[in-house]
Amino acid sequence: MAQGINNEVAIIGMGCTTFGELWDRSASDLMVDAFQEALEDAGIEKKDIDAAWFGTCFDEVNVGKSALSLTKTLKLPFIPATRVENFCASGTESFRGACYAVASGACDIALAMGVEKLKDTGYGGLPDFGNLLGSQNRAIFANLTAPGGFAMLATAYFDKYGLSPEEGKRALAHISSKSHHNGTLSPKAHLRSEVSIEKIMNAPIIAWPLGLFDCCGVSDGAACAIVCRASRASEFRKDPVYVKGLQIAVTSGEEMAHQKWDGTHVIPTYRAGCAAFKEAGITNPREEISMMEVHDCFSITELSTYEDLQISPRGKAVEDIEAGFFDLDGTIPCQTDGGLKCFGHPIGASGIRMIYEEYKQLQGKAGERQVASPRIGLTHNLGGFPCMSVVSVAVFGNTL
Amino acid sequence: MTYNKPLPKINADTKEFWNGCKQHLLKIQKCGDCGFVRYPPSFICPRCHSTETEWIVAAGKGSVYSFTVNHVAFHPAFQEDLPYVVAVVQLEEGPHMLTNIVGCDLSEVRCDMPVEVAWEAITGEFSLPKFRPVL
Repeated sequence: MAQGINNEVAIIGMGCTTFGELWDRSASDLMVDAFQEALEDAGIEKKDIDAAWFGTCFDEVNVGKSALSLTKTLKLPFIPATRVENFCASGTESFRGACYAVASGACDIALAMGVEKLKDTGYGGLPDFGNLLGSQNRAIFANLTAPGGFAMLATAYFDKYGLSPEEGKRALAHISSKSHHNGTLSPKAHLRSEVSIEKIMNAPIIAWPLGLFDCCGVSDGAACAIVCRASRASEFRKDPVYVKGLQIAVTSGEEMAHQKWDGTHVIPTYRAGCAAFKEAGITNPREEISMMEVHDCFSITELSTYEDLQISPRGKAVEDIEAGFFDLDGTIPCQTDGGLKCFGHPIGASGIRMIYEEYKQLQGKAGERQVASPRIGLTHNLGGFPCMSVVSVAVFGNTL
Repeated sequence: MTYNKPLPKINADTKEFWNGCKQHLLKIQKCGDCGFVRYPPSFICPRCHSTETEWIVAAGKGSVYSFTVNHVAFHPAFQEDLPYVVAVVQLEEGPHMLTNIVGCDLSEVRCDMPVEVAWEAITGEFSLPKFRPVL
């Protein structure tokens, strides 16, 4: 394996809007707000930015194709700018572009911006994929929903590990209840109320066994990051955050094609995690990770991610969940800002919103939800279905 | 009665499959070189990459691998069917097939439950392979 970019890149500024139903603000408004915060945080001027990457998933909604809407909105002065799209990893994908640009020496300072105005679709979940998944969609996807695809992950997991629906749903409810609690301490979150385990378990069913509170919110938002080479970070601030590992794994299709996948976990999450840990020099994730923001589009996604990232042993996530291992005061707090559960999932923005939380935590600036003395933070995005996905895993630290 | 749900879009890979369905034959592919039996249809074998392909007729029997019960419709045309079961059925021949479980009470569906194909002719051109419990 190539040497990777461990300790080559530093984040020197970040911005993140409040997430929510932002009917009165356009994607441009959100980008400007996130960008202004990041510029002030980094203490640089717009002219210092050499290149930009722009993550957004549904270009049909609001922003259009290419990076034009980024450069026109921010009035960036004829610099190279690239729009990227990679399902739910789109935000992290734009961050990856910016990191690779400075790591390579191609530029000194780069911007990664992610934005999505999902509420403008007028639809409760994600927009209809139509034929985006290819012409086999009727044969493969039938009348399956996104919640349905992940619900089958839960059904298969419960069956494999001998959990009754009641036992399984209770563990999933703990995940959502924990995130809702963290969301109450997170001023930029969309949903900021406590929700009890009993209320979650008794909520209307969306796709059995998943109920309303097993599903994340749907929101608008933007987030951005400014990066430079690690060796220059001290010129800009005393407390930069360093990129330790940054990996994406995209399925080869073997989950469905080879008939060896058991449908209880997500192979690209495991593979992206392995690659990111190797790049970051992490040999024991359970011992070395301080906290994480994982892709909790559904509660079961978060559960399976605990195991795929080798935090919990296979089949043992429920024990960890019920022991409070992932709670805010637990061993590895997960979704310290409330996660997708409370921020919703404006797709292009989500990955960078997660990095924003790790950045603030690693600087000790996370307010009421601050984790004690964190050293290593992790973010994870999963786009697609459990059987066919794009996954990113990123690892960050506050020392070289 | 007209059928208002989305119809399959046939292409070169799936034409033989849908033609089989029209005759209520569940056609899947077998690699002419390594013998691997596969679904959904593809031009090359995902295991050995051979283009030698034979179409075989599956017995239409299998078991529920995993399932969900949809209480919210993704497409408005499915609204009238709610709640309905979406399942992955493992065919006796090996492949997994995404389908619906019909012909039983929703609360009876379990993982590993034996099922058999139950054809639903939706238009003159198309029949969908759904599955029902083996009595």
